[in-house]
Amino acid sequence: MIAGRGRQRIRPPRRGLHGDDLDFDSTWVSIEAAFREIHTKNASRLSYEELYRHAYRIVLKKRGDELYKNVYEFEKNWLASEVRGSIDQLLSPNLLANVQNVGGTTANERRVSGEKFLKGLKQAWGDHQVCMSMLADVLMYMDRVYCQDHRRPSIYTAAMFLFRNEILQSNISETDERDVLGLLNHVILEQIQMERDGDIIDKHLIKSCVHMLDGLHADDLESDDQRLYNVSFEREYLDTSRIFYRTEAEALLRDSDAGAYCGHARSRIHEEEDRCRSTLLDSTTKKIQNVVEAELIQNRIHELVEMESGVRFMIDNDRRVELNLIYDLNARVDENKSEVTRAIQRRLVEMGTAINSDAIAASQATSTSAQEKNLNQQTVAAIKWVEDVLVLKDKFDRIWRESFNSDNLLQTAITRSFADFINSPTFPRSSEYISLFIDENMKKGIKGKTEAEIDLVLEKAITLLRYVQDKDLFERYYKKHLCRRLLMNKSISNEVEKQMISKMKIELGNNFTAKLEAMFKDMAISEELTSGYKRYVEGLGDRDPKRIELSINVLTSLTWPMETIGGTGEDDASKRPQCNFPASVEKIKRGFELYYNEKHSGRTLTWLPNMGTADVKAVFPRVPQKDGSLKERRHELNVSTYAMVILLLFNELPVEQSLSFNEIQAQTNIPHNDLVRNLQSLAVAPKTRILRKEPMSKDVKPDDQFFFNEGFKGNFVKIKVGVVSNGNKVESDRERRETEKKNDDSRNFCIEAAVVRIMKQRKELSHQNLMTETLSQLAAQFKPDVHMIKKRLESLIEREYLERVEGAESYRYLA
Amino acid sequence: MSDSSSTEYVTLVSNDGYEYKILRSAACIAGTIKKALDPHSGFLETTQNRVELPTINGVVLEKVCEYLYYHQKHAESKDVPDMDIQPELCLELLIAADYLDV
Repeated sequence: MIAGRGRQRIRPPRRGLHGDDLDFDSTWVSIEAAFREIHTKNASRLSYEELYRHAYRIVLKKRGDELYKNVYEFEKNWLASEVRGSIDQLLSPNLLANVQNVGGTTANERRVSGEKFLKGLKQAWGDHQVCMSMLADVLMYMDRVYCQDHRRPSIYTAAMFLFRNEILQSNISETDERDVLGLLNHVILEQIQMERDGDIIDKHLIKSCVHMLDGLHADDLESDDQRLYNVSFEREYLDTSRIFYRTEAEALLRDSDAGAYCGHARSRIHEEEDRCRSTLLDSTTKKIQNVVEAELIQNRIHELVEMESGVRFMIDNDRRVELNLIYDLNARVDENKSEVTRAIQRRLVEMGTAINSDAIAASQATSTSAQEKNLNQQTVAAIKWVEDVLVLKDKFDRIWRESFNSDNLLQTAITRSFADFINSPTFPRSSEYISLFIDENMKKGIKGKTEAEIDLVLEKAITLLRYVQDKDLFERYYKKHLCRRLLMNKSISNEVEKQMISKMKIELGNNFTAKLEAMFKDMAISEELTSGYKRYVEGLGDRDPKRIELSINVLTSLTWPMETIGGTGEDDASKRPQCNFPASVEKIKRGFELYYNEKHSGRTLTWLPNMGTADVKAVFPRVPQKDGSLKERRHELNVSTYAMVILLLFNELPVEQSLSFNEIQAQTNIPHNDLVRNLQSLAVAPKTRILRKEPMSKDVKPDDQFFFNEGFKGNFVKIKVGVVSNGNKVESDRERRETEKKNDDSRNFCIEAAVVRIMKQRKELSHQNLMTETLSQLAAQFKPDVHMIKKRLESLIEREYLERVEGAESYRYLA
Repeated sequence: MSDSSSTEYVTLVSNDGYEYKILRSAACIAGTIKKALDPHSGFLETTQNRVELPTINGVVLEKVCEYLYYHQKHAESKDVPDMDIQPELCLELLIAADYLDV
């Protein structure tokens, strides 16, 4: 473009425009005078343009360094004389005395003089800032051209440094070595301390002083981490706060309880937060919080939790608000809340163990009394145990919800603690007790409850079940108890039973409930069979007036716990002593066998008379009644099948003749134990004494004689003759050992199955890996003993399922 | 400050007596004028809303004002057409720009 206009020449600017001659000194004099005016706040008469032009010219004439130096000196002098002078006036002896020792002056005096000092300093700082920004405006051209070219800090920055050097870092007086900055820090800290003690202070004033410190730097580089606020004030502030809170924590721990401590600590933390916002800088918030948390919480939390009024006390007394406080505090310093968690766990296990030992104590309290009674007591203890555990669970659930904000970590901790004490090796009965609890509820507990309530009970049982490790043991017990309930019609509602099963299915999987469901199926089929048989008999046509009604349960032997039914489950069916039924009963039995074999060929029916009951109509001879008349009495006796067989023996016996125990046994072939029990209930139990025994005693001996008791009196037409020990109770120790042994056997089987499954898939595996895999596979059912697994491995090797790999700690699968 | 401090227009005066009334916002694009009119410092110019510029003559100042408006107008657009500047004014304009910190 310019080339296109080639002819035109660019003229140099006319000289003289900026004045050729420059009298530096006189110009400086006028500038200096103007600066003085500015400093004394008389700027409105000055022309900015004029001053700017002066400075502009000077710089243009390459005398910028002189100007810079002059301004610098001018400011330095001004600060040293004028500003310093006004500050000095504020340094009252009162204030100075404070620095040395606080005694001698009242808090109020200190506050007033402190405030005055802060105000003066703030004023000086404010003025300095305004004036310097005006000066900087005037000297803009110098800043732009001279300072940049010569790498000098702008005049404004330089003046700020001057303020720091001349005012803040100057000594208080010629005799006093301390600098004003130290005094300033001290005064601010003192004010803050006053606020902590409850006084009201001028937050705004302090804030502006803090801003001043924030705006100044300790060195001339203006790096961010070198702000005076950070290097000087903040450090002191944090130090004094640390000391303050340390002593406060000590005093509080000594004087107040944990709850109050927590409340106080929390309010202190909030206070500091507020203070940083209103009085200091936000950037300090984090740091002071760390200090407070460290002093008030971290270093003390252990003591706090352990205090007499600590976590333990709070748990025991349901101080949920305080627990929340302490949880909150702990959460601040420790993400894992380990202290609180530990305390909670310990207390929980303690309480759980107490429940355990209570249960054990209760079950053993009366071990001297009769065995039967003892068992009953144990059952009560078992149910009480479950209820106690549930109460404990409720309590901790509520604490967890309300105090711990439903914290996941704490939940796992609590769950673990529950599992710990429920599965504790010193208390091996939890599975049995839980099953008993369900049993009790199924039989009695749920009567008259709404569906929702029942659901709640079941849900509770399931929660407990969740904690139990040896689920297989529980299954065994549950099966046993369920079996009794089903066969004896003890269960109140089949619906609820099924509900329970389905709940377990959700919780523990199909495997667990398959057999339980099969039991229900058997019951349903049996019902069909019974009615089918009834129709069949009616179809036969011969209407026997003495016909005996039969209802029958056909059970699949594998799914039902045979040891419960047959007494000794392992015995072969053929070896089991067969009871001799009286002819009339035997006929029906045959009839049913016939019918059953017609429907299902090839199945063997084994009769289990010890589980059955019978309704017997009995006629007792006339005896004088109260009113003198003679009356024949009829009773309907509901007795066990065995008892029926025994009673029928007496049917054929003339009155006043007796049978000895041995004779009865010989004729009926009832197993000894069952016979004793049945005879006891027929001849010894006071309300159902249908037989008379000689000699009259509690125990049944082999040569005891039994008579039909003609003088039997009963108040009701229907009389139930209970057979002792039919209900579900806690096992005696012998039974227990048996159950455990059986359980171990089935565990062995499970372990072998698991090992073979794993090895079949992997072909070759090291010992360690095999162990872990086996453990994890079985975890859902039970926690196997490592020793047990090793034994199983040996046995598998013996049977050539596996072999050891030479030279390595591993196994190979042999197809 | 007085009421006049917030007028919409300010006056720029050249060394040969020409006065230009221009928008305050445009005038303040020039750093020097902005500082001179800064209400916080309160110089004489602030109270009068009038800045005398004895180093700049009328012709140049006219061009300066033109430029200030031009700058304001195109501040946010792209592909701005060049401003027409006579070559003989160039040097003086450069000096004025330096002085005014544009």
